[in-house]
Amino acid sequence: MNLFNIFLRIFIFPGFLFMLILALFLHWLDRKLIARFQGRVGPPWYQPLADLVKLFAKEDILPSGTNQYFAALLPLISFASVLTASFYLPIAIQSTPSFQGDFIVLMFLLSMPSLMYFLAGWVTQGVYSIIGGNRSLLQYFSYEVLFLLAMSGTAIASGSWALTDIRLTQIKVTPYIFPQIIGFLLSLAGLIGKLKREPFDIPKAKSEVIAGALTEFSGKKLALWYLTIQLQTVVGLSFLIHCFFSGLWQMNTISGFFIFLLLLVILQCVLSAISAIYARLRIDQLIHLNWHIFIPLTLLHNIYILLK
Amino acid sequence: MSKITVPIGPQHPLLKEPLSFLVSLEGEKVTDSVLRLGYVHRGIEKLAEQRTYIQNIYLIERICGICSHIHSTTYCQSVEELLKLEVPKRGLYIRMLLCELERIHSHLLWLGVLAKNIGLNTLFMYAWRDREIVLNIMEEISGGRVSHSVNVIGGVQVNLNESHLSLLQQNLQELNKRVKEILRSIENDRSFQARTQKIGHLSLEDIKRYCVVGPVARASGLDIDIRRDAPYAAYDELNFEVPVMTKGDVWARSILRIHETLQAIRLCVQIINNLPDGPVSITAPRRVPAGEVASRAEAPRGEVFYYVRSDGSQNPARLKIRTPTLTTLITLPGQLKNMQLADVSAIIAGVDLCIACGDR
Amino acid sequence: MKKLLLNIRSFFYLLPNILEALFSKPETISYPTVTHKPPAGYRGSVRIIAENCTGCGLCVRDCPAAALILEKVSKQSFQLIHYRDRCTSCGQCELSCKFNSIYLDNTYEEAFSKRKDFIEVLVDKTEDR
Repeated sequence: MNLFNIFLRIFIFPGFLFMLILALFLHWLDRKLIARFQGRVGPPWYQPLADLVKLFAKEDILPSGTNQYFAALLPLISFASVLTASFYLPIAIQSTPSFQGDFIVLMFLLSMPSLMYFLAGWVTQGVYSIIGGNRSLLQYFSYEVLFLLAMSGTAIASGSWALTDIRLTQIKVTPYIFPQIIGFLLSLAGLIGKLKREPFDIPKAKSEVIAGALTEFSGKKLALWYLTIQLQTVVGLSFLIHCFFSGLWQMNTISGFFIFLLLLVILQCVLSAISAIYARLRIDQLIHLNWHIFIPLTLLHNIYILLK
Repeated sequence: MSKITVPIGPQHPLLKEPLSFLVSLEGEKVTDSVLRLGYVHRGIEKLAEQRTYIQNIYLIERICGICSHIHSTTYCQSVEELLKLEVPKRGLYIRMLLCELERIHSHLLWLGVLAKNIGLNTLFMYAWRDREIVLNIMEEISGGRVSHSVNVIGGVQVNLNESHLSLLQQNLQELNKRVKEILRSIENDRSFQARTQKIGHLSLEDIKRYCVVGPVARASGLDIDIRRDAPYAAYDELNFEVPVMTKGDVWARSILRIHETLQAIRLCVQIINNLPDGPVSITAPRRVPAGEVASRAEAPRGEVFYYVRSDGSQNPARLKIRTPTLTTLITLPGQLKNMQLADVSAIIAGVDLCIACGDR
Repeated sequence: MKKLLLNIRSFFYLLPNILEALFSKPETISYPTVTHKPPAGYRGSVRIIAENCTGCGLCVRDCPAAALILEKVSKQSFQLIHYRDRCTSCGQCELSCKFNSIYLDNTYEEAFSKRKDFIEVLVDKTEDR
């Protein structure tokens, strides 16, 4: 691949610009759907872009006593790790470099933003930030485990930890959604917990801790956090689609691209519907739900896959 | 475990009006809380002594935005009793109609705020969407959605004609259906129950010790309602029920308030079916003879109590108001003990504070 | 059986409601492009029928916000001035007037950019010109 091709791939087509547009589009879809579910009109299509532009134009201040260098580093690390994670996934149906164990590397890169979120709360030292950060750490310990265990069902069934092998096994046999529907639902629950969406959004509950760990951020740093959260949704959903729905399209074709986008939109609709119908759960109810109900189910499901 | 003091301060997304709570946490559990009032104190009782009786009607309405009509009704009732006026029946019925419509709108607003604070934004939007029906009715009758200014000393200043009555009939049927659907959602939805059951418990002894009134008292088993026990403004000619529950937590208060809303719709239907003919007001003299009078009414939050003393001039000598929010505010630090921080928002929203009423 | 269905539905009770709301017309309007017409009984701006006004001052005495000022030069020559920023559109002046000259209509003028536009001279019957 010559230099021009590399530049095109990293920055434009399945790279930075395309991911940005996809993230803003899915965010707009989420807000519009939730508004329509509630009987409202909803924002116009350019609203997430307008929010981003507005955030870049605002003043960027932090309370005195925070470590300015560290507070500027945290959103950059999260943004960079999510973008790096997107390179391993065939988001626009191109072939990606793959090696044994990149499943685990992808999990690790996707979980960096949650850790950085907690550290952001810790470094800005407000009352609300610390409480939000503590809650998000509890949630991080529980729902990352659920996500990893539930997605491991597909890796176990295909016999290797490389993403390409997972896809190839699905093309040969059947997309994993059909035999492993419980695993799919559990990993969807894990994804909601990871992304801190409703009903699991107690770390950033607006009525108790004003914005959780990000209360004191503003300006460019907050714009980077905002983009990180949207990108995490895109990459998480693409990961789910890759591991469970992979046999349904051909690689490197236009029709495959559109099927992938359609699946992304459908999964975003499912996430929005789940956000609209549930109240926010308390932190002890969340932990109870995870460790008493979800994890045992996942373990049973994985043992069943192992034995088959 | 670390000890933190969280200011649920004067400005907070949880509160509609400024109120200061300093909640001391140990981990996630509340150990202590300190309450501070007075951020919206405007000195209404003192201002009322410097204005005439007619000007005071409009001042009293602006004590609270949500229960404004009840305040002006109680004030006009007390002055009419000092003047020994007999308000015509049609005027009393129109006053009662607006009182009940205000009760419906206040309870739907409260339900939306509770749902928003526990994270169920969909129920918030649905409750406020159904509240729009009531606000449109009130705008057609009186010209204002939230502050009506229909009371005068001696009756009301608006009249209902045929088009108003048919609009009311149609809309009240639609509203009845929707409020029943909301009641079913609250009774059956598990996530709502998980956030509101077993928190903020008040027992019957606590209620009697703090002299709590209103839906908070009725949800813990005390059966009081001024409309039935000491009827004012022709309530003795209508029949309705007063719902009472015994559990005493936030969930019981929610269900109780929606039952009260259904009873209020039933009262509105009775009022429009039995509306008597005649004038809507009689002219009142300007000078009020000397004397003192106390009058009560049932606001959406409980019993509101007015004391007016006159010394024969054009201004009142003393006006004392006791609003129901004051009684419920005192119980809040006791309710918050040993609750989690996430429950604090549900409890504060569930007890339906109207700080503007409380501070005057 | 119905109880069992309700029990199952209680895990996701609002789902039929949100699907129904998705396919019906939304209840909110996009405000600056679409506006709401006030009803006929709406109390908006204060207007005057200047021929009927005799300068008795009943409306001035009863206004709760002190928004009407009567400047009397002599018995026949006076000016009635209305302060629009103090007016709360309550309608008490309309009730107090015995000569049917002051009333409230349906319109509501939104905003003015100069401070002096808020002071409106309703009746000018000064005769010493």
